[in-house]
Amino acid sequence: MANKVVQETFSRPAQPKLTTLVRLCVAAWMVPGLGHLLLGRRWRGLILFSAIVTMFLMGLAMQGEFFSTNSGSYLQTLGYFGELCVGLAMPAARFFGYAGGNPLFVSADFGTAYLVSAGMLNTLSILDTYDIAMGRKP
Amino acid sequence: MAVPHLPAMLLFSFLVSVVFGVLSKNTPRERLLYGAKVFVTFVGVALVLGWIMYPVP
Repeated sequence: MANKVVQETFSRPAQPKLTTLVRLCVAAWMVPGLGHLLLGRRWRGLILFSAIVTMFLMGLAMQGEFFSTNSGSYLQTLGYFGELCVGLAMPAARFFGYAGGNPLFVSADFGTAYLVSAGMLNTLSILDTYDIAMGRKP
Repeated sequence: MAVPHLPAMLLFSFLVSVVFGVLSKNTPRERLLYGAKVFVTFVGVALVLGWIMYPVP
């Protein structure tokens, strides 16, 4: 039993530094797939980037709504943080003139679902980056 | 851009399935199979729920 514990302790790969982990997670948050790219998982990063950014762009094309924290509604605040999880894409869309959607547009509800889901998928991508960096996943 | 409901649902299911497949499994074959399974489940459940809700006013 003791031998097994010692063996497992020594066979575990070296843990990365906290700063490295934070840097990877921030990179994965800012640009979907960038964390995987920095860890050498090029194809995985490229597929994640394509899928998440396509979802976000389709949300913009369908006039999805950007939530704000000023509405006083807990659900809208949650939606704001959900959309924020997609990283730099949200401020970039605002910078390029996206006014925050038109709730009366016919596809606006789908667009909002696309925007929030893109953020949620990027959150999963960040957690995957963390797991790979910690050696829990190949 | 106005997108009809069915294509919007199909595209949504496809993109989510791709991400789930890539993140959940480790080999390309497993990813493809899992992604296809998630996609079919998404679309199937949406169609069944749609038909169940159809007679509801």
